[in-house]
Amino acid sequence: MKSLRYSLAALALIGTTHAAVAADNLEIIVPFAAGGATDIVARSFEPTFSQQLGVTSVVRNVAGASATVGTAEVANSEGNPNIIGYEPAGALSIQPSLKKLPYGPDSFTYICRTVSNPMFLMVSKSSDITSFKQLVEESQDQPFLYGSSGPGTLPHLAMAATVVNSDLKAEHVPYSGSGPAMNALAGNEIQIMADTETILENYDLRPLAVFADHRVEGYDDVPTVEELGLPALDFAVWQGVVAPKGISDERAQQYAEACKATVESDKFKSFADKAKAGIAYLGPDDFKAFVQKRFETNKQVLEDAGLAP
Amino acid sequence: MDVILAAVGDAFTWQALLAIVIGTWAGIIIGGLPGLGSVVGLTIFLPFTFGMDVITSMALLIGVYCGSVYGGSITAILINTPGTPQSAATTFDGYPMTQQGRVDEALGWATFASFFGGVLSCVLLIFCAPQLAKFAVNFGSIEVFALVCLAMLCIVGISRGSLLKGLVCGMMGFFFSTVGSDPITGADRFTFGTYALSSGLDLIPVVVGAFALSEVFVRFSARNEEATIIPEARLRFPGLSEIGRRLIELVRGSFIGSFVGALPGTGAAAAAFISYAAAQKLSPRRANLGKGEPDGIIASESSNNAVTGSAFIPTLALGIPGDVVTAMMMGAMVIHGITPGVRLMADQAQTVYALFVVLIIVNVAMLILSKPSIGLFRYLFKLPLGFVMGGIVMFSFIGAVSVRGNPLDLVVAALTGILAYVLRRGGYPLAPLVIGMVLGPALESSLRRGLLISRGDFLSFFTHSGIATTLFVLIGLFLVWTVAAGILDWRAKIAARRQPAESAARSATTPEGGP
Repeated sequence: MKSLRYSLAALALIGTTHAAVAADNLEIIVPFAAGGATDIVARSFEPTFSQQLGVTSVVRNVAGASATVGTAEVANSEGNPNIIGYEPAGALSIQPSLKKLPYGPDSFTYICRTVSNPMFLMVSKSSDITSFKQLVEESQDQPFLYGSSGPGTLPHLAMAATVVNSDLKAEHVPYSGSGPAMNALAGNEIQIMADTETILENYDLRPLAVFADHRVEGYDDVPTVEELGLPALDFAVWQGVVAPKGISDERAQQYAEACKATVESDKFKSFADKAKAGIAYLGPDDFKAFVQKRFETNKQVLEDAGLAP
Repeated sequence: MDVILAAVGDAFTWQALLAIVIGTWAGIIIGGLPGLGSVVGLTIFLPFTFGMDVITSMALLIGVYCGSVYGGSITAILINTPGTPQSAATTFDGYPMTQQGRVDEALGWATFASFFGGVLSCVLLIFCAPQLAKFAVNFGSIEVFALVCLAMLCIVGISRGSLLKGLVCGMMGFFFSTVGSDPITGADRFTFGTYALSSGLDLIPVVVGAFALSEVFVRFSARNEEATIIPEARLRFPGLSEIGRRLIELVRGSFIGSFVGALPGTGAAAAAFISYAAAQKLSPRRANLGKGEPDGIIASESSNNAVTGSAFIPTLALGIPGDVVTAMMMGAMVIHGITPGVRLMADQAQTVYALFVVLIIVNVAMLILSKPSIGLFRYLFKLPLGFVMGGIVMFSFIGAVSVRGNPLDLVVAALTGILAYVLRRGGYPLAPLVIGMVLGPALESSLRRGLLISRGDFLSFFTHSGIATTLFVLIGLFLVWTVAAGILDWRAKIAARRQPAESAARSATTPEGGP
C-alpha cells in the first residue's frame, strides 16, 4: 500500500495549492466564457478601471445558464466591496422574468452602463426583399423563420415583439449563438434575424428597420420601427457594471467615478471604435432606472408572446 | 505573390517564432494533463496576448490550440486517460498497444498522424477555404442531424462484445447532455428545482470523471504494483515504408477531420469519433481495431488535428466560429482590430496568409517538440505512482472547475468518477458515454430545429437536400452492413458450435456403428 500513502501525501498537498487572495483584490465577474463578445469588452475595460480605483483586479469568467450563474454570484456576495459584475442586458433585464433565479433587478447596486448598440431587423442580401412592407406581404403565404442566439435572448425578444405588434408572420428557430444563426441565414434555413451593427457589417445582410427611437448614424435610410407603423420598440444590446447590494455609499461612489473615467478614456474609446461597441454611459441612478424600465418592457413582451411562465 | 512573401516575412519574426515555440510546447503539456484542455490553455494565454501584435498573439494561441489537441494523445496512450476529450478515441487502440509494450510505436504514430492531419488541413485551408466555406453553408440543421446520426453509429463499433452495454452507456451520456436549459424553449430540465443544475453538465468534468478519475480508482483497486506500473514513454517515428502502407488511413482521417472541422458546431471530438467509425468499416486491418492497431490511432489523431486547420475556414471566411476554441480565437482577433467575416480575405489578405504560414510552422514545431515533451512526461511518470495519481486527481479537478468556474463541476467530476468505476467493473465501455455527451446536444438541437424548419414533417428530412439524402443512405447502408455482418458472425458461431458437437457425436457413435 505504498502507493496509497504517497497519494494521500500528494492529495494533502493539493489542499495547499489554492491561491491566497489578497483582501483588496477586485474581482470582476464576467458571466460568459473567455473570448466572447462581452468578455472582450470587459477585458479592455478592466485595466483602466482598476487603475482608476488603484487596486489590482482579476477578470473571472463564470459562464452558464444564459449568463445567470455568474450574475447570481455577484448578487449573492451581498456586502462584499471587492466584487463587481460586468453584465450583459439579458442577464439583468430578461432572465429574471423567464425563470426562477436567486436574484432580481433589485438585487444589485447599479454602477454604470458602458456600451449600447441598437438592433436592426435584417435579411440576407441575397434575398429580394428590400423593405419591411414587402417582408410582411411575402410572409402571408408561408410564415418566415427568424433566428436568434438562443431562447429568451434579445434577438428573440425583438422579433417576438415585432411579430406580436405587426402583421408579419414569422416563427422562431433558436441557435446556440449569433454565429450559427448567421450560417443558417446564409444557407436560407432562416430568413430574418435581429442583431447589432457588428453582425450587420460582418456578414452579407440588408437592414430593413432599426429598433430605436431615432435613425442611426451611418444607416440614414434605415427607418425606425415606429416609422413603419409599429409601436416604438426599443431594443439594444447593452452592457453595464453592477456591484452587490449592501456596499457602502462611499465604495459605490468610487466605482461610479472610476467607471465614468474609464468609459471616457482614450484607450477604451479607441477599443470601442475597433470592436464597433457604441459607448453609451449612464450614471448609477440613470442606469438603475434604465434597467428597471427595460425589465418591465421585456416582461411585457414575454407575456404578449406567451413566453413568460 | 508580393502579399504572400510579405506574409511569410510577418510570420518569420523572432517574436512570432518564439511565441510559436512557447505556445506549442505549453499546449502539448496542458493538453497532456488530464482535465486541462484547449479551452483552459487558451484562457490562460489569452490575457498575455493583449500587449502583442496580431501575428505574435495569434501564433501563441494557435500554438496552444494545436499543441493541446496533440498533447491529449500522450496520456491517452500512456495511462488510458485522454488529456482532452478530443483524444478519447485514441485510447481505443493506443492503450492496448501500451499494454503490449508498443508505447514507442503508438506515440510515434500519434505524433506523425497529428502532424500529417494538421498540415493537410492547412493546405486545404489555403487552397479551398472559400469553396469549403460555401459548402459548409449548405449544412443546415437537417444535414447536421444526419451527420450526427452517422457519427452516433460508431457506438456500435466500439462497444464490441456487448452492444447492449454500449447502448446503455451511450444513452446515459445522451441523458447527461439534456440536463439544464432546453436549447429550444430555454426551460429547465432535470434540475430538480436546483438552480445550480440549470447550467447543465459540462463535457470536461464528465470526461475527467469518466476517464481520469475512474482510471485512478481502477489502479488503486488493482492492489498490484506490477500491473499499475506506467511504461516508460518513448517515441519512435514510423518508417517511410510503414507510412506508405498506411497512407490511405492518414489521408482519410485528415480529410474527415478537415471536413468536419469546417462545419459550424461540431468540433474535434466529434471528428475523431466519425473518423474512427469510418476506419472500422474501411481499414484493411479493421479486424484488429480496438486490440492495439495503429490504424485506430491514426484515424483518431489525424482527424482531430486536421480540425485545427479547417476550424478556421468558417471563422475566417464567414466570421462564424466552429466551436468554443475558434470563438476564443475570433475574440482575440477582434481585440487586435481584425474582424473575421466575409470581407476579411479581401481587406486583410496579408494577415490571413500570415496566419496560414503560422499554422504550418506550428505543426512543424509540434513535430520537433514532441520528443522533448514526451521526455518530460517520461520523467513525470517516473515519480512514485502515488504522486502521479495524486497529480492526476489534482489536475482533473482544476481542469473540471476552470472551464466555467462553476463549483458544481467538481461534484459532477467526482460523481462521474465513481459511476464510471462501477461501470468499468461491470464491463461497460465508457467511450459511448462520452460520445453520447459530445454528440447529444448537437443531435437534439439539430433534430428539433430541423422539425421547426420542416414544420413538423420528419419524412421530409430524407428528401430535404442531396447532402441529407446521401447521408441518410449511408446510415442505411451502415445499418444493413452491421446487421448482415452480425448475422453472418452469428451463423458462423452456431456452425462452429455444432461442428465440434457433431464430430464429437460422430466419434461417439463410430465405435458402435463401425465394423
